[in-house]
Amino acid sequence: MLQVGEAGTWRLWLAYVRRTPLLLFLLAYTALTALPFLWVASMSLRTTSEIFANPYGVPTHPHWSNFADAWFGSNYSTYFWNSAIAVIGAVIGVTIIGAMAAHGLARYHFRSKRLFRFIILSGLVLPPQMLILSLYQILLDYQLYDTLTGLAIVYVATQLGMTVYLLEGFFAQIPQDLFDAARMDGYSDFEIFWRITLPIGTPAIFTTVILNFVILWNEFLYAVVLMTSDENRTLPLGIMHFMGDHQLDVAMIATGLMIAIVPVALIYALFSDTMIRGMTAGAVR
Amino acid sequence: MAVVAIDGLSKQYDGSSDFAVRSVSLTVADGEFMVLLGPSGCGKSSVLRMIAGLEPITAGTVSIDGRVMNRVPAKDRDIAMVFQSYALYPHMSVRDNLAFGLRRRSVPADEIARRVQGVADRLRLAPLLGRKPHALSGGQRQRVALGRAIVRQPKVFLFDEPLSNLDAALRVGTRAEISRQQREIGTTSIYVTHDQAEALTLGHRICIMNAGEVEQIGAPMEVYRNPATAFVARFLGSPPMNLLPAIMEPAGDHVRVRLADVTFELPNWPLAAARSHLNQQVMFGIRPEDLYEEPITPMPRLRVQVRAIEPLGAETILLLSAGGQNHELAARVGRETSFRIGESRDIGFDVAAVHLFAAATGKAIARPTA
Repeated sequence: MLQVGEAGTWRLWLAYVRRTPLLLFLLAYTALTALPFLWVASMSLRTTSEIFANPYGVPTHPHWSNFADAWFGSNYSTYFWNSAIAVIGAVIGVTIIGAMAAHGLARYHFRSKRLFRFIILSGLVLPPQMLILSLYQILLDYQLYDTLTGLAIVYVATQLGMTVYLLEGFFAQIPQDLFDAARMDGYSDFEIFWRITLPIGTPAIFTTVILNFVILWNEFLYAVVLMTSDENRTLPLGIMHFMGDHQLDVAMIATGLMIAIVPVALIYALFSDTMIRGMTAGAVR
Repeated sequence: MAVVAIDGLSKQYDGSSDFAVRSVSLTVADGEFMVLLGPSGCGKSSVLRMIAGLEPITAGTVSIDGRVMNRVPAKDRDIAMVFQSYALYPHMSVRDNLAFGLRRRSVPADEIARRVQGVADRLRLAPLLGRKPHALSGGQRQRVALGRAIVRQPKVFLFDEPLSNLDAALRVGTRAEISRQQREIGTTSIYVTHDQAEALTLGHRICIMNAGEVEQIGAPMEVYRNPATAFVARFLGSPPMNLLPAIMEPAGDHVRVRLADVTFELPNWPLAAARSHLNQQVMFGIRPEDLYEEPITPMPRLRVQVRAIEPLGAETILLLSAGGQNHELAARVGRETSFRIGESRDIGFDVAAVHLFAAATGKAIARPTA
């Protein structure tokens, strides 16, 4: 009996040993991603002079007032709401337009459909650096330069390719019979989009909403070129603002980063399950 | 209540040089149950989808009560359709699935509730009204799909192979259900299937299609007894009609058929009826149930080899070969058989039950009316 027990223990050890490389890798990866985050989090509770004295120190006397200073004293509230307006507006816009385009591409046969798809999806591969000059000029021409509306429209355009790509793949799996049944039930093409495609496509739409939100919330390049005045800055620009030429308010930057992370972290915490389901969803039955 | 008339209906799909449906004409009378029967790919579903308005019409017309529907969109044709996949809306409860079509037609809410309840009672769906489709069994889903059509009280019901996804036992029960509902409600119905048992049991009339064309339209027993073409003869019946190559010859005032090593006379087929086929290749057709293992004296006999015996309980199917090894035929005999595998025996057939088809066209050679 003892021998059997020893053999079992031995096998268990072997299993651990076999899994060790994986565990080590995961540990290293977690450290790589989590430690900088924890470092910034600890800096957000310290003052700049404390940080310069000992960059890796822990906040022995946490300065929670940093957050109040950042929010009320350093315009972070303005930046936050600017980001919120531009990003939420853009996400709503790109979701509605993208879903309609995806529905059209997935459901209907029409002339030059391949061309349309190619044009829309080419947005996925064009580098932003190539577009930015012409976008700048277009926004100037339409008096949308340095406005949140203009930025939101640019965001819709840049994210449309990915949104249509993801949604079309999902919508194409919805059985044609459902659309035929709705037509027989008396619904028009537009009503079918609202009452069949959208509700059934909810998991996929959630996925694109979250992805677009995270990407746009952190977006920097378009914002820095297309927004100039301080009262129109979005959060990433606002944070950069503290990296002056002569001084560097590290604590304020860290605090700003922590504020910026909150909505993204919240969305991930609340919707990551739905998102993963949407990305891995098979056919709708 | 409606008459559905289709006239010269043709369909050519984009990118295909062939016609999927070729000049199909038929009229479905008010309250009639018409079954479109044929092998897969014969164009029967295309016909149904053109009637529904789900597929554009290449040529010909579809009219309901005399009004041409070609340009009327599906939603305005007042037709309900039951799909093979059921096509229940997965995000809606059974109640909402049933009510969906009525809401669009701005039926008052209390009227919708009354009609949904009525259909739910009729189809035993009342306890399921709050459930979503994924929580239903196949048979229940099928009943919801049927209910969704009935609740609309449309002019015409269309069924696109509605029983194909059910298991065999459920299929028989649901078949009876569909038949009973249609009889009680009396709505004009067009039903597409490749299953001859469904066609024979459900249809007032059957339209048999092959390769996009109509082969024959008629009442179930009429098409079974008098197939207009060799295709119909082979398609209906299980096992299907035996067809063997033969030569038709004159024999006085009637005809004679030379089949393998036997020659027999058909005394009630006058020469006049078959004149154009004399001395030509024809197909000799006989149903398995018209072959007799104990021939009565005057019956012509065929020498056969017994290749297999399939006892099915109520009957026995004999698989035989005649005229050497080339011609296979099946016979349906009683519960017991004296035949043994490998034996060479004589089997008799009823001359009155013989069918003859022109070998070139497959068309039936007009059979004298008895």
